[in-house]
Amino acid sequence: MSLDTRPLRLQQRLPETTHTRRQPAPRVNPNYPRRMRLADTLQVLCIVSVALAVALFLGSGGAARFGTPADALTSIGIVTGLVGTDLLLVMTLLAARLPAIDRAFGHDSAMALHQSLGKPALYLILAHAVFLIIGYALSSEVNVFAETWNMLTQMPDMLLAFIALGLLVLVVVTSLVIVRHKLPYEVWHIVHLLSYVAVLAALPHMLTAGTVLVAGSPQWYYWLALYVAVAGSIVVYRVVLPIVRSLRSRLVVAGVDREAPGVVSIRLTGRRLHHLQATAGQFFIWRFWTPGQWWQVHPFSLSAAPAHNSLRVTVRALGDGSTDLASVPVGTRVSFEGPYGLFTDRARTSPRIVLVAAGIGVAPIRALLETATFAPGQATVLLRSHSVADSYLVDEIAELCRVRGAEFRIIAGKRAPGAHSWLPGDAVNARISLRTLVPNLSESDVYICGPRRWTDEVVRDARSAGLPTQQIHFERFDW
Amino acid sequence: MRKRAAAAAATASLSVLAIGWLVGTPAVASLQNTLGGSATDATVSAAASAPAVSTPTATATAPAVATATPTATATATPAAAAPAAGVTGTFTGSVVATRFGNMQVSVTIAAGTITDVTALQLTDKDSKSVQISNRAAPVLKAEVLKAQSAAVANVSGATYTTQGYLTSLQAALDAAGF
Repeated sequence: MSLDTRPLRLQQRLPETTHTRRQPAPRVNPNYPRRMRLADTLQVLCIVSVALAVALFLGSGGAARFGTPADALTSIGIVTGLVGTDLLLVMTLLAARLPAIDRAFGHDSAMALHQSLGKPALYLILAHAVFLIIGYALSSEVNVFAETWNMLTQMPDMLLAFIALGLLVLVVVTSLVIVRHKLPYEVWHIVHLLSYVAVLAALPHMLTAGTVLVAGSPQWYYWLALYVAVAGSIVVYRVVLPIVRSLRSRLVVAGVDREAPGVVSIRLTGRRLHHLQATAGQFFIWRFWTPGQWWQVHPFSLSAAPAHNSLRVTVRALGDGSTDLASVPVGTRVSFEGPYGLFTDRARTSPRIVLVAAGIGVAPIRALLETATFAPGQATVLLRSHSVADSYLVDEIAELCRVRGAEFRIIAGKRAPGAHSWLPGDAVNARISLRTLVPNLSESDVYICGPRRWTDEVVRDARSAGLPTQQIHFERFDW
Repeated sequence: MRKRAAAAAATASLSVLAIGWLVGTPAVASLQNTLGGSATDATVSAAASAPAVSTPTATATAPAVATATPTATATATPAAAAPAAGVTGTFTGSVVATRFGNMQVSVTIAAGTITDVTALQLTDKDSKSVQISNRAAPVLKAEVLKAQSAAVANVSGATYTTQGYLTSLQAALDAAGF
């Protein structure tokens, strides 16, 4: 027996508790059109910024500078440099935790886009260097090595520019999937911070060596404004805001509860936490100030809806650092960045909700179940595990399902070897899928949290059931 | 990305590119010059270049323009200060400081015709600048003799040299009352 389902459809009258005070009548979230307009605006701005980078070049008379091979190569080099730098700035903004970007796309999607822009940006910058060296070498009638040496020794700020290029290569190489998995997170992170140095070190040569960004020209003002805006966003949203929030909240560890072998819930208390405007389903990046832990950060989702003076996370020993968290002493100061993520009720578009979790992915699902908007009978919770015993927070979820009138199923069993499915092998053979498990799937928002590949399989199942993108929400926790 | 957003992005991007292209194209710059009344000759306005003449240029050249007229000196007295016709002599332009070194030219005018331009100083901050200005100077001289004014096209790859050269030349021509 590997498909164990426990229907708990109890349609009892709901008692007046804090989490059922919301209007139970379901409504399609009015947030969605507004969110899509914001997303559209941001996407248009992103693309127009690339066009503007090319327009800067055209505006300085660039269209006329393609006459000779040397001029053409030089011009191409200038355009690739401008567009590549623009993409680097866009990437930096995507990683700057801008509230607007988090509200429109969610942290996950923003970082996925950030990641996918990395290689194109590097290739453009490399092309910039190569084309300009060849173009200059042609016009000076020397070989490329002599020209490179001339540039380094004779042109202003060129040494800095070459250093910036080297740093960018280092940053992108350490972020390649195959390399990144071999590096400790902290090493990768420190190398990644060098990209800020690279972007800044590249600025002087743009202003002194080129003819596009001439001091005092409109191009010059635009480019500097862009740099100032990006740097300002980083300073405000990645440095100042987290420090201010951490200091104001005075968060400390109030208790550590053992949920299962290797899994603990950490209760945190602080003051005026409602100012953070965190919602169930979001995550924070935590730092526990103990002698052995302070240098590590952990991205953990809330495993209970946030209260005015308390938060809770539930964690499993995944990385190197999570292991010691079971022994973190009560009273430990905790600082944080966040809350982040769009894995919340704000992203809802449909009256019904389906919550699907595997492993420790149950944490944000448990929080969502507490406060998500749905009427009794309109929610389904699916927990996937190897055996019935190794699911976490099961008692809490069962109780919440009973109180709120949600259907609860645990789907246990080993995956068939080689099969591409999120379900156990015999469930696949029995042609069970998301559509057969959930009534009225087409009117539901599906929230999925679990390991990366498993999550991808659930998303695939939901898509093949005909669910549109805006009804599928997922968060992968192994980054 | 939704279709509407993609369409908006495409329209906006194309507009931005078109505006950039128009701003950077000599034909438009010459139109601006014509409207401003500074270019009267059709051949001159066709050769006029946007970045060299009409855009606000480097801060290095801005103060130089301001000091251009007072420092320009004439080695031969012009026949008359105001009327341009029949001016003869050699006139030295102001020293224009650019990021890559100082520039100064002198112009020889015979009976109202520019017959020669001599570069007294060229950008020389480093060998790259020397090489660039040595390449640009003959081109600029030829253009000036052809256009009979300082309104000539930018030499690509030598924007600073061009700007300095033409600013100094204009100062000399102003001194000549040309």
